[in-house]
Amino acid sequence: MLQYLIIHLDDTSVSYCHYDNYKKERNLISLDDLKAGILFAMKENLMIQMVYPDYQLPKEYEATIETIDHVKIKSISQSINANVVVIDSWNDLESLKADKEIAYVLRTDKASFFECYSRLLPILNEVSRLNVVIKNIETFTDDDFAKYKTILGEIASKVKDCYENNHAVQLNLLTDRMMLDKMNNCNAGWESITLAPDGRFYVCPAFYLAGENEDFGIGKAKFSVGDLQTGLDIKNPQLYRLDHAPLCRKCDAYQCRRCVWLNRKTTYEVNTPSHEQCVVAHIERNASRDLLASIRTIGTFLPDKEIKEIDYLDPFDVKEEY
Amino acid sequence: MFHIKQEKPSWQSGIAKNITFIVTKDCQLACKYCYLVGKNEKERMSWDVAKKAIDYILDNEQDFREESVIWDFIGGEPFLEIELIDKICDYLKMEMFRRNHHWFNSYRFSFSTNGINYHTDKVQDFIKKNREHISIGITIDGTEKKHDLNRIWKGDGPEHGSYKDVVKNIPLWLEQFPGAGTKVTISSADIPYIKESVLHLFNLGINEIHINCVFEDVWKEGDDALFEDQLMQLADTIIDNDLYKENTCSFYTENMGKPMDCVLDNGNWCGSGKMLAIDAVGNFYPCTRFAQYSLRDKKAWIIGNIHDGIDKNKLRPFLTLDRCTQSTQECIDCEVASGCAWCQGENYDTADTPTIYQRSTAICKMHKAHVRANNYYWNKLFRKLELEGKREEFEQNKKSVNPEIC
Repeated sequence: MLQYLIIHLDDTSVSYCHYDNYKKERNLISLDDLKAGILFAMKENLMIQMVYPDYQLPKEYEATIETIDHVKIKSISQSINANVVVIDSWNDLESLKADKEIAYVLRTDKASFFECYSRLLPILNEVSRLNVVIKNIETFTDDDFAKYKTILGEIASKVKDCYENNHAVQLNLLTDRMMLDKMNNCNAGWESITLAPDGRFYVCPAFYLAGENEDFGIGKAKFSVGDLQTGLDIKNPQLYRLDHAPLCRKCDAYQCRRCVWLNRKTTYEVNTPSHEQCVVAHIERNASRDLLASIRTIGTFLPDKEIKEIDYLDPFDVKEEY
Repeated sequence: MFHIKQEKPSWQSGIAKNITFIVTKDCQLACKYCYLVGKNEKERMSWDVAKKAIDYILDNEQDFREESVIWDFIGGEPFLEIELIDKICDYLKMEMFRRNHHWFNSYRFSFSTNGINYHTDKVQDFIKKNREHISIGITIDGTEKKHDLNRIWKGDGPEHGSYKDVVKNIPLWLEQFPGAGTKVTISSADIPYIKESVLHLFNLGINEIHINCVFEDVWKEGDDALFEDQLMQLADTIIDNDLYKENTCSFYTENMGKPMDCVLDNGNWCGSGKMLAIDAVGNFYPCTRFAQYSLRDKKAWIIGNIHDGIDKNKLRPFLTLDRCTQSTQECIDCEVASGCAWCQGENYDTADTPTIYQRSTAICKMHKAHVRANNYYWNKLFRKLELEGKREEFEQNKKSVNPEIC
């Protein structure tokens, strides 16, 4: 069931997820469309997430936005009043003056993460929540999986220290799975939908930001799922639901992003994750399992949660038993 | 002993990898129901592409673990490229032996042909050379009238049917491959000729008829009733004349038309993704139906090529696809669901989005008519066997049915 409307205010609005936004030319949503989007969300009972560009919005826009309860997602350079702040550089992360009321998103590529992950550790003392998004998950190799496992182990030691010092930091890669009892994925197209500056709905911002002629092999990467005039028109909507994802519906890597954009890009199907997405999620899951056990050496912690031991990293490899 | 002829299971059914070389997109015929919308004379496989494909497949034995292999050759009309095929097969045999590959001595070369070139020296020499490892199916649609309704020669000018050019080769084919079956395809215009066509094929000595309706949305109002009537008339003739003792027709299958369970009976009907097809430029596909020349409205679903290999991520949707996830609620709840077939390529081509997870239901009313006629057949046959005191013997001797997937 739809719960969130993401309003991508401008073509240059910050990316807070796996996709990159290469657009440099400003193209602000029209004020009428912004108002119509807000009205749509009110009538459909949707929580709004405003995704901001890297410049100050006109006053009438700010006033309109403030007519409704919402979450502000902003880049670090425009972070005033933000609820979620996106950081795209390790230097910005290091110089961060963290606010515990704000959730931070660090977007990084794989190579930078492997090189700079230690710079993450001091920040964990300062923030309440940090989401690390590795942009190019699809490029992970077997060597990368091994490295990732080792690195998560090192970061987990730091997280344990935080917990020992009564700072229950949330780091998506390690702590989300400890807390969850069921899948908690992106769910774009099912629980959230994006309104873009062109007045059309998209499954998520990535499907809007794709080039007009971009093609992943079997069709245009960019496609809309309705507009403000005619409403939502999602073809094959069931394919965005968990129960129509054969590999995911029984999976217990509950923290997995299950990114439909990456799915479409790597396997052609929005409901089917790539090998790389599955293995990365399971390495995180297993690291969470170890962290849970480690924190429990300090004292009682989430006594009703259990992450069982498994002998696979890709559910595809055990699909016959699924 | 009392005997009802039953379909022969296909060679190494379920344990053989099917690898298809699309050696040409050309064909002498222009069959009206042919799903190959992009046939042409230009796209012919070169030896270089074929060799690279073979080398890739045999070099990566760990990714092809099936016990056996069926090297399949299709077109267009594959025998138009008999010289290339001969070279491919020689190389395959040599390489499988040289590498001590686990497929050596567990392979077949398989052909679906229109039969027109069957008698030629080159094809016959090839058959003699590979006799123990070949299966060939010649497509003949029934009576001359029915066959020539769809299976016409390519070219401008008045329509010219191909029946006479095919039927002359049937005796030679049956002599070389006793018990071989033929595949018959039914589209809307063929329905009135089903009964006479099947009986005609039996008379030609073809005792196994694999017959199915096309999956495309071609059906007109009233086709289902006409279809049901034809199948019931055919059932009467087969049973009243004891033809079931020596012949089989895939229309009549004992265990079809039953409800299906989303847990116990959730397998995919179609084998796409478990197969591999290679085209003239060296692209790999999950099945030939995903090559561009088979698709009307969608782009080809390429899963790799002979240079870069197979992108396994592109196969994951196929290998995790189950019946219920791709079916409508109506199909899931259908009380006569079993035996209702689909083609993944056709599903993909007709889907609202580029997905293999949306099942086409164009065949629904034809399947239901089929089920009714099939029920009629078995009720009539069982009653006859009971009256003749042979029912018990039939039950004891019947083979378990293993439906063949495409």
